[in-house]
Amino acid sequence: MVKTTYNLAELPEGSSGTIRDIDTSSPTSQRLLDLGFVPGTPIRAIQKAPLGDPTTFQIRGYQVGLRKTEAELINIEIKPDEK
Amino acid sequence: MKSEKTVERRAFLIGNPNSGKTSLFNALTGERKRVGNWPGVTVQRIEGVIKNVNQELVVTDLPGTYSLTPATPEEEIVLKCLNEASENIILNVVDIANFERNLFLTTQLIELGIFPVISLNCYDSFTGAGGMIDLSKFCNLTGTNAFPTIARTGEGVTALIEHLLKTHNSAAATNSCISMLALPEEWVQAADQLLRKDKKNWKSASPLEKYNAIRALITSSGNDTFEIRKILADTLSQRHGKDIKPADLACELASDRYQRIEKLIAVCATVPAKNIPAWQEKLDRVLTNRILGLPIFALIMAWIFWTTFSLGEYPMGWLESIFAWLSGYVEATLNEGLLRSLIVEGIIAGVGGVLVFLPNILILFFWIALLEDSGYMSRAAFLMDRLMNSIGLHGRAFIPMIMGLGCNVPAVMATRIIDNRFQRLLTMFLIPLVTCAARLPVLVILCGTFFSDNPSLWMFNLFFVNLLVLIFLGQFTSMLFKTDGNSPFLLEMPPYRTPTAISVYHVLYEKIEHFVEKAGTVILAGSVLIWVLSAFPREVPLTQNFDLLISQLKAEPATNETAEKIAALTRQKNIELMEGRYMARIGKFIHPVMEPLGFSWRETVSLIPGFLAKESTVSTLSVLYLPHGENLGDAMKSAGMGKISAFVYMLFTLLYIPCVATLGVIWRESGSNRFTLISLLSYFAIAYAVSFLVLKSSTIVSGSAEGMLEGAIIIIAVLFAGWYIVRTLLKAITGRKCKGCSSCDGCPIKNSNTCS
Repeated sequence: MVKTTYNLAELPEGSSGTIRDIDTSSPTSQRLLDLGFVPGTPIRAIQKAPLGDPTTFQIRGYQVGLRKTEAELINIEIKPDEK
Repeated sequence: MKSEKTVERRAFLIGNPNSGKTSLFNALTGERKRVGNWPGVTVQRIEGVIKNVNQELVVTDLPGTYSLTPATPEEEIVLKCLNEASENIILNVVDIANFERNLFLTTQLIELGIFPVISLNCYDSFTGAGGMIDLSKFCNLTGTNAFPTIARTGEGVTALIEHLLKTHNSAAATNSCISMLALPEEWVQAADQLLRKDKKNWKSASPLEKYNAIRALITSSGNDTFEIRKILADTLSQRHGKDIKPADLACELASDRYQRIEKLIAVCATVPAKNIPAWQEKLDRVLTNRILGLPIFALIMAWIFWTTFSLGEYPMGWLESIFAWLSGYVEATLNEGLLRSLIVEGIIAGVGGVLVFLPNILILFFWIALLEDSGYMSRAAFLMDRLMNSIGLHGRAFIPMIMGLGCNVPAVMATRIIDNRFQRLLTMFLIPLVTCAARLPVLVILCGTFFSDNPSLWMFNLFFVNLLVLIFLGQFTSMLFKTDGNSPFLLEMPPYRTPTAISVYHVLYEKIEHFVEKAGTVILAGSVLIWVLSAFPREVPLTQNFDLLISQLKAEPATNETAEKIAALTRQKNIELMEGRYMARIGKFIHPVMEPLGFSWRETVSLIPGFLAKESTVSTLSVLYLPHGENLGDAMKSAGMGKISAFVYMLFTLLYIPCVATLGVIWRESGSNRFTLISLLSYFAIAYAVSFLVLKSSTIVSGSAEGMLEGAIIIIAVLFAGWYIVRTLLKAITGRKCKGCSSCDGCPIKNSNTCS
């Protein structure tokens, strides 16, 4: 079976995905939800910083940089046509 | 003119970071006044006044936040003010160019029955990108009053002010209509049930009580709420036709809010499909480019550093010559005595010591304001975050740390660019460990004195140990105190904007006023205190009547012999005077503490004036060592001070305390006595520990100076080993989290607490 679920940190630069769920055990998750990282929202990885971390993402019409530790809280689906 | 004023009315400004809240505040009131701190947290409360012919409206600027649910202590202020604010006017700044996310906060307010006056800010970028909004429809559907504004230019502000002066309070603004953003019935019922347990109900509860009820519904806390949460989850499952568990409610509520927002926007506005202009994307691709990004940033930093500290030297020189002229004038007009000494050494030197920082601060903050306003600051933080994160700091901490190399004072002030208070304090704590330019001459003198054979090598060693201490301390403190709660990393990339003169002016004015008024007084007080310690008591019991002897010698025919005798007597007198002053007495008193480091009482005494300016340690030492010889280095050698003790002394001097000016700004910027005191003690403890380690390990390896390299290596090894052990321990204590690895089978924490 082809893997369709990734966490956001695995999303390659320039590709898009859809948020599937978010790990609510971390206190940061509430803030991510408030910022619009809710299931079903499309998200695009824009680029990684020169030193590899953080990465900027485009969501709901704005850009936000997340570190790997935060991006790993978010699970996404990458549809074949989006990849 | 006497005008009849109504009761004092207040408006509270609330909105997302980067929404133009500060610009709007400036445009509304024209003046920012600090009115003390918010209770509980040391965040400054800023207010301004909107004046009309017979009305006054006090506007309070609340800290920027994305959501009512606080992620930092600053953001808690917004929640704490909610009840008070709802009885007054709430002005919600909404960046319409970033509509969905900005409306989240608005939605939260409306859910609690607060109908804010809305400023649809950045209206020009919205319409410029092809966006349209039906204002009256928006107002009707939300139950609010909205005004398009462009805060940066002040457009639309007049209409907003007119409305604000007419409005009474936000809670009662519109009750008749049901807002599209209001909380769905299921949630209201559940919250109502929860409130009824405390003999309250949804209708009569205050906004804060309502907020707490909703918060309790989405956070699993205790069994008493579980039943209600279970029913709510079941009702929602039925209604939406999917399986929702009580643990999913937080996620469900956030999704629901965004769905309401999306629906609202769909009916009343056309949001441009692409709201980030192409030129901005291109610029971003260059400025944060994998290859070009860092060199461009390095160039910008070099330019800022050079202008701040090299161009800053000219006005600093002028200031210094003005003060030198003033001292000269006073010395010429007043007779030698206490008053002259107070004016010249205490006041003029003190005031000069404060004002001399102004050019640096002005230039640095001019650039910082430009970077911040243009939106590049977030990109810089993005570029440097990985590096800074390795010592536990935020990407934004890079600029203050680098500026620390020039001077710690503006560097500490520059920590203002870090929004998160914990991160800001951590950066502030580490800055004094960055060797500033003023410490360089001291090191040059010390190294030249003690290690005249190879001063540069020993200077390098000192810097190296200093750097290790900095890294170790950064790692250590952030490991001890950092939690997910105090340092969430969410770096918003605001669109690039042209900075405006008015906002740069506001930043500069505020900085200068703040520095002179707050830090300046502390620095001045410190200077005067040190002067008092070094000048009192005036009368010191002397072993001989030096003045009499000298005047007798002067009366004799002048020969080489008498001249030498006079010089020797004067020297002896100065030493005895110095030993009799409070400073030396304190030094001798605390000397037992310093003895394990191999210091003689002279070294201990010299540390006290070093508090005011590190270079005074050298001048004090040379006076104290006069009996052993004219040349300080030789004198110290003959007094039995080895190279190791000299190195330890230099290391201690470098680390033990920041200068009084740095300490003054730390105190003022942190706004906390406790933090300042703890930092002060920490620096001392660190200096002591590191010096002691170096001393012991180098004497263990070998008693001679050749063994110092090995000693240094041992220290490094010990530091890293210690760091590794502590880190591993802490990791073990804090526990592991599911990283979503592929082998979930048999993993004890698999799928725990994931939502949806």
